[in-house]
Amino acid sequence: MRNLLVAALLAAFALSVGAQGQKSTYKVPRTPDGQPDFQGYWTNLTYTPYERPKELANKPFYTEKEAIEAFNKAVAESENQVVHYVNTDFGATPVQTGAKPNLRTSLVIDPSDGRIPPMTPEAQKREAARTAAQRAGGPLARTWRDDRGTVWCVFHERAVPAVTAPYGSNYQIVQSKNYIVMIYEWNSERRVMSLDQPHGAVPLYAGDSRGRWEGDTLVVDTTNFNPKRTFMGSPGTPPAVSVTPTFHLTERFTRTADDTIVHSYTVDDPMTWTRPWTVEMPLHSIKGPMLEYACNENNVDAFTTLRNARLQEAGKLAPPDRTRNVEDPKATVLEREEKK
Amino acid sequence: MIRATISASVLATLLAGAAMSAQTYRALRTASGQPDLNGFWQALNTANWDLEAHEAAAGPVLQLGAAYAVPPGAGVVVDGPIPYKPDALAMKRKYAANALREDAEVKCYLPGVPRVMYMPYPVQIVQSTDTIVMMSEFASAVRTIYINGTARPPADTWMGWSNGKWDGETLVIDSRGFMSGTVGALDEEGAVHVRFLDRAGNYHTDGLHVVERIRRTGPDHLQYEATIEDPNVYTRPWTIRMPLYRRVEANMQLGDFKCEEFVGDLVYGKYQKK
Repeated sequence: MRNLLVAALLAAFALSVGAQGQKSTYKVPRTPDGQPDFQGYWTNLTYTPYERPKELANKPFYTEKEAIEAFNKAVAESENQVVHYVNTDFGATPVQTGAKPNLRTSLVIDPSDGRIPPMTPEAQKREAARTAAQRAGGPLARTWRDDRGTVWCVFHERAVPAVTAPYGSNYQIVQSKNYIVMIYEWNSERRVMSLDQPHGAVPLYAGDSRGRWEGDTLVVDTTNFNPKRTFMGSPGTPPAVSVTPTFHLTERFTRTADDTIVHSYTVDDPMTWTRPWTVEMPLHSIKGPMLEYACNENNVDAFTTLRNARLQEAGKLAPPDRTRNVEDPKATVLEREEKK
Repeated sequence: MIRATISASVLATLLAGAAMSAQTYRALRTASGQPDLNGFWQALNTANWDLEAHEAAAGPVLQLGAAYAVPPGAGVVVDGPIPYKPDALAMKRKYAANALREDAEVKCYLPGVPRVMYMPYPVQIVQSTDTIVMMSEFASAVRTIYINGTARPPADTWMGWSNGKWDGETLVIDSRGFMSGTVGALDEEGAVHVRFLDRAGNYHTDGLHVVERIRRTGPDHLQYEATIEDPNVYTRPWTIRMPLYRRVEANMQLGDFKCEEFVGDLVYGKYQKK
């Protein structure tokens, strides 16, 4: 099965390599309104690290052979992850959804070392204070607001700006003459981009997005993010940082093949970083449909997390033993408990 | 109840008349030649309070006084009263009496179909040739309509599975695959046992099948009609009909009404650290 999978990926990879970097002769399909057609289902799941590993500081690109090796190594490692269930059983690893090898060694492409530039001294102080305030509450969730990893359904912060996720990073794009809608699978987040209105006045969690066409490229200008949210803090990215009122996102979407949209974005927030920086995350086509996420509807995670936290505080429930049965890294928690 | 029936039938006659005069309107076309339903649409009635004719009434929370009292309404059921089976009508009364616990709107759960279309929040329609997206401000609810789609629902969901087709000027949407309520709810605070169609306790189960007919009756109006079928609850299919009005403001856009922010303390309160 694994060999079949890799063979299929190699075939797909030939296309992916051709699409990146060089001037393409690809003719972008058009909507009935004459706009480049980006409609369909896409994923930005990837095994490429967000920031470049330090040992690859001067190597922004792999060779084709190296890229495939790095991809296969990452796939193998992700299958060995210890989680609450077997990811592959749920079709929940990126390779099962449609992630492809990438010639780039990191998603951050500017600065040239592939690393996010330093934060300003003021931002470092601000974020240290925010983190300290969070830690002061102790390790157990006090309210439903505390654990944004599993129980927070208000907004899925990986959606905009797009940040690497372990699974579920799929998009449906629908276009009309004046609007482009991107529906993100995780939390069914939706993002409505007007092509002909000025920016609105009220902050939005996904920011206030306005699109325009520059040739066949969709350029999206997003401001006015809700300052209650954060950015990053996902596995594989730096810790979460506040999204300030000066946070400005500029994105470019270019369809370079039937199965590829190159998506890049520049983050500019003088209240946080010493200079703007840029990420490139290709979107690869996948088979639809996407189903409803319904995060808040009977959020069992939230009830369990909070109820067990209160029971632990009352001494009625032992804290989870994270050391048992570590000799079998492939066993799921359930299997290990059965063995015990 | 007799008075409610008369009002509903009078209303049905009036609506039928309005529909006749609107039948001559030909909508502008999208570039692919379909009637253009793009825009922001909103009901201007009290259907979300009670689909049937109702008098004004005090609201459910004493302290809110007149601010959240129930406004009166002539009802939107064309062929009412809603044809409940006898035991289902008894359940409706029970649910109505317990609406603060049973109504998914209170818990910010996805409102389903047809309710999402007549809640007091705008619905933006973004229309493409093969796909139409309908997005409500409430709970960021999204519906995807697959034009000429024939797929059966792959799973039961809160917003259901919608296949659409064009019948001349009218978009006909067939929706199935709805959740009945919460499945295996861990905690009663999070549970809803059926799905409310309004705040008055009118409800459906996972037997729901909805056929909507939407047509543009003018530059700023849609006629919205939904036939509701659920053999678990009703003796026959029944129909609601109402206009939806275009939000004409130049700066109109969907805001965030991510209401989990407003209900987390209510739903999880008893497990939170005081």
